[in-house]
Amino acid sequence: MEIAEKKAWSPYLAGALSGVLSILSIWIAGKYFGASTTFVRSAGMIEKIIGPERIAKMPYFIKDVPEIDWQWMFVVGIFIGSLISSITSSTFLWKGVPDMWEKRFGPNRWKRGIVAFAGGVIAMFGARLADG
Amino acid sequence: MMLLYGLITGVIFGFLLQKARVIRYDKQLGALRLMDMTIVKFMFSTILVAMVGTYLLKDLGLVKLSIKPTVLGAVILGGLIFGIGWGLLGYCPGTSAGALGEGRFDAIWGILGMLVGAGLYAEVYPAMKKTVLTWGNLGKITFPQVLGLNHWVLIPFFVIGGLILFWWFEKKGL
Repeated sequence: MEIAEKKAWSPYLAGALSGVLSILSIWIAGKYFGASTTFVRSAGMIEKIIGPERIAKMPYFIKDVPEIDWQWMFVVGIFIGSLISSITSSTFLWKGVPDMWEKRFGPNRWKRGIVAFAGGVIAMFGARLADG
Repeated sequence: MMLLYGLITGVIFGFLLQKARVIRYDKQLGALRLMDMTIVKFMFSTILVAMVGTYLLKDLGLVKLSIKPTVLGAVILGGLIFGIGWGLLGYCPGTSAGALGEGRFDAIWGILGMLVGAGLYAEVYPAMKKTVLTWGNLGKITFPQVLGLNHWVLIPFFVIGGLILFWWFEKKGL
């Protein structure tokens, strides 16, 4: 853990570089960073398998069409970028219970999983309500 | 081509997020518990740089701003609900993908939950559109517009404010 922390980049530097990246993205592709719409499109894509007629009529899926777009690939890219960075710096760690969680709530993976799932449902509902 | 731009941008962003260690539960909860401001330093650095660059490109006529309408009811309620969920999950929508990328597989449960949350919101969207999404709709407003000032008058205040905040974080060892 200590070694991993020492190899970390300054959040100011990495943050500023992300700012430059975001400017380039707006300039070159006309795209602003975002992630939560991707979850709407993906939910729609999954639901389309079960009932395509129903999804086609839902106003929210007419607004955010269930298909792969720039942002969908951006979110997949975040996964790949993080994977590359962690593997090349030996900070990849297969871990199902975060340290801070374990200290307070214990090492049970299912307990953590259930709360993470519930948190995900609530967080995404709120994010979409706020249009963020 | 758009898809490729999205992928490349995401890979670089994910790389930077991982390098700064901001996609971890401990860092996100650390910020929410006001113990570790790493993610706030990252976010504000990004915002300040992007703010200057984006307005510069806008003035040169090279880009268009993407302004979402400010609906007070939706933003306040949605923000409060998001905060509860974020505190429980410890990852936000973008960082959950990054967290999984560095092996934090509890993020899978969060991603599944977020898919369900998005599906649920799609179900209630027509009802929301008639209620919450009409409460306090101020339209597509910006600070320069509301204050009636040129954006280059306001940008230095944001930048200086951000730098003072950074200085204070470092002084307090946050």
